[in-house]
Amino acid sequence: MELSEPVLLILLSLAEQPRHGYAILQDTERMSDGRVRLSTGTLYGALSRLLEDKWIERFKEQDRSRGRQAYRLTDEGRRNLQTEVSRLKHLARLGALRVASKET
Amino acid sequence: MLALYRLMLYLYPAAYRGEYGEEMLEVLSQVHTEIRSTSALDRAACAAREAGGLLCGALHEHLRPFRGAHVRGRFSFLFLGGRVAMRSEFRFPKATVGLMLVILAAVMFTIEKAKAISASIPHGNPPVGHILPAQITILPMLLVALASAIGAGVIGWAILFALRRSGIQQLSEMNPSADERSAK
Repeated sequence: MELSEPVLLILLSLAEQPRHGYAILQDTERMSDGRVRLSTGTLYGALSRLLEDKWIERFKEQDRSRGRQAYRLTDEGRRNLQTEVSRLKHLARLGALRVASKET
Repeated sequence: MLALYRLMLYLYPAAYRGEYGEEMLEVLSQVHTEIRSTSALDRAACAAREAGGLLCGALHEHLRPFRGAHVRGRFSFLFLGGRVAMRSEFRFPKATVGLMLVILAAVMFTIEKAKAISASIPHGNPPVGHILPAQITILPMLLVALASAIGAGVIGWAILFALRRSGIQQLSEMNPSADERSAK
């Protein structure tokens, strides 16, 4: 299953620790060196689908103020993310080999 | 700007707005606070990105009944190479199929009629008078284009709304047991 870059970045952001919406926006921008700047509409479109498919879940914080809901990866989401990272590793390794063989 | 975002959230389906609206507004508020000290150009770019994201998100949520129920279908706008599929529980109302057939027949009839008229007209270019420059300015053209776009959007929205409220979805919202209880 191939994930788009925004979804991959959202999952990677939540893989480190539970985060709420604004923190995810900041982290995705930081991870991509400012290249990927998600809008709030795009972020919540992705979050709602990831929630539906149980890749992520709501994280209950004790001092949660209204309007600040944190999310975290589920075990299933972490497994799926690991699979995707392995696929990308393989692709990167293959790409590096092919590009190198072309240059020599 | 926040007032505009708040209004744009009303473009989303009510259920979605109820679940995520407050959170989204909180995030939009934080983004708004963050960019307050940046240049006017950056603020405009951010506002355009957020407004575009809300519009696309709302449209996507309204189109979700037409998408597949499986994971790849639901994520088709986020996964690479996704495809659009119909949800198994969604069915077009029979009236829509009938209407589409009527429209198709009308289009076919019009094409045939046009061919017949074209064949009956003798060939050769008729004399054309002096062509005057068009008296059209840019502003009225923009207004017409804007009005057309808004009209098309409203019609599309109405069709989607009608489809969503039709058929099996209305049945799924019914609760016969509750109705029976209230009747008693």
